[in-house]
Amino acid sequence: MILIDKLCYQSGLRYVNAAEKFVYAVLSLVFCIASSSAVVAFLVFLTNGILTVGKGRIPLSHYIKLLLVPAVFLLLGTVAILIEFSRVPMDAFAFQIGRWYLTGSRESLIHVCRLWITALSAVSCLYFLSLNTTMTDILEVLRKMRLPALLIELMMLIYRFIFLLLETASAIMTAQESRLGNRDYRTKIRSFGAMASALFVQSIRRSNALYDALESRCYDGTIRVLSQEQPVKKKEIMWIVLFESLLLLITIWSIIG
Amino acid sequence: MKQNNEWVIEAEHLSYAYDGNEKPALDDLNLKIRRGQKVAFMGGNGSGKSTFFLCLNGIRRPGKGRVLIDGTPIAYTRKGLLDVRRRVGIVFQEPDDQLFSASVYQEISFGILNLGADEETARNKVEQVIRELGISSFQDRPAHALSGGQKKLVAIADILVMDPEVMILDEPAASLDPKHTKIVRKIVEKLTERGITVLMATHDMDYAFGWADEIVLMHEGRVLKKGMPLEVCADRKVLEKTNLEMPAVLRLYEKMKEKGMVSSQGEVPRTMEELERRLL
Repeated sequence: MILIDKLCYQSGLRYVNAAEKFVYAVLSLVFCIASSSAVVAFLVFLTNGILTVGKGRIPLSHYIKLLLVPAVFLLLGTVAILIEFSRVPMDAFAFQIGRWYLTGSRESLIHVCRLWITALSAVSCLYFLSLNTTMTDILEVLRKMRLPALLIELMMLIYRFIFLLLETASAIMTAQESRLGNRDYRTKIRSFGAMASALFVQSIRRSNALYDALESRCYDGTIRVLSQEQPVKKKEIMWIVLFESLLLLITIWSIIG
Repeated sequence: MKQNNEWVIEAEHLSYAYDGNEKPALDDLNLKIRRGQKVAFMGGNGSGKSTFFLCLNGIRRPGKGRVLIDGTPIAYTRKGLLDVRRRVGIVFQEPDDQLFSASVYQEISFGILNLGADEETARNKVEQVIRELGISSFQDRPAHALSGGQKKLVAIADILVMDPEVMILDEPAASLDPKHTKIVRKIVEKLTERGITVLMATHDMDYAFGWADEIVLMHEGRVLKKGMPLEVCADRKVLEKTNLEMPAVLRLYEKMKEKGMVSSQGEVPRTMEELERRLL
């Protein structure tokens, strides 16, 4: 999460209008899942990769590492679909174990492959958005979409203070470590508890202080702020429309066919 | 609203106690501050500086006594508080307690929007303050990636954007590196040039001695001594009581005068540079 946050501030696509990126990512995601066509999924996966690594200049190694996170889940999930225990061997593969077979059908193999590419390309849409758009920009788009103000405010404060919380936690842990606070399992557990309670107390102090500071700037219950927005570019819109139309065509074609 | 009142802030018999504390944080405090002055607040931790500041813009409501801004007592109504908080701004000691948004631009725009400014005015004002304080070089970074000094500048911009008459800085140099201490001090000078009254809590006696028009020594929720820097610093008894040292430049000047190394004519030097110029 911290890695994604760091990367998105350096992305070459950071200063592209956030709404454009949002629309592109969400539409591509919808087509990916709605069509369940491998062609669409592959196209989206490829485009996201080129945009994120090529244009966004997100290091390829980081991108691959991030994609591997859902891959592990996918692997565990699809093993159950692919492999069956049966007395009769099926057409894709079969390993004999005594009188039984560890086996899978060609149909389920194709199904699993399609699942993989669809899931990965769906995830790549979300990665495209989060690796190239800062959290504050995403929140601004959600605000424009008329999401409840309370929700936006909460997300804004959480995003700001999660880093402070982590910072404080790591400072406490360093201090504990320097006093042998994790010498053995017992002390480790005890230190963790002490840290949690210290964090809690600090959070309360901090929230009181924040409230005072907000009030002192005439806070009245709603947080109103202005954001800097990047201009919408015609060329970018054109490419998005073109790409999504292509996806739409393939989707329709694959449903009819 | 009256603008020509000589006293921009008057505190009369101010008392305030936090829940559950036997000792009051403020104990019958009386103080008047002239418009346009630079006032340094000194005194140990827990002497009541911060609580006093919070009373000045209505965040804390004193149990006894009252605060007058521009000769008008603070009205603890929605409208009254809005007015007081527009006039009196506080830059908190810990920027992390003040910055609520990860975006610098959003953060600074908060105050002025609360004053009811329309979007265009607000944008202009925010951008002006960003330029003025030299924030533009890091304004695109998230708050959690800023250094302490940069956060402090944003915290000052937060208040400056609201055009306050009185600006309170609670230990602005606490945990800043020398570079940012210098920057912050320069900004403070600019504020005074604009006619903003500046109240600053500080532990740096040398700085306060050179900078302030008046020094207020606080002790146990009261004003122990208030006066011109020279007046306060000459009073060894109160300095001792508040564990403060005489400013280095003053000590040196007196010793050098004794030994005839500087001319004793003219004013007492208030900074090391002034003292250097006086060397015989």
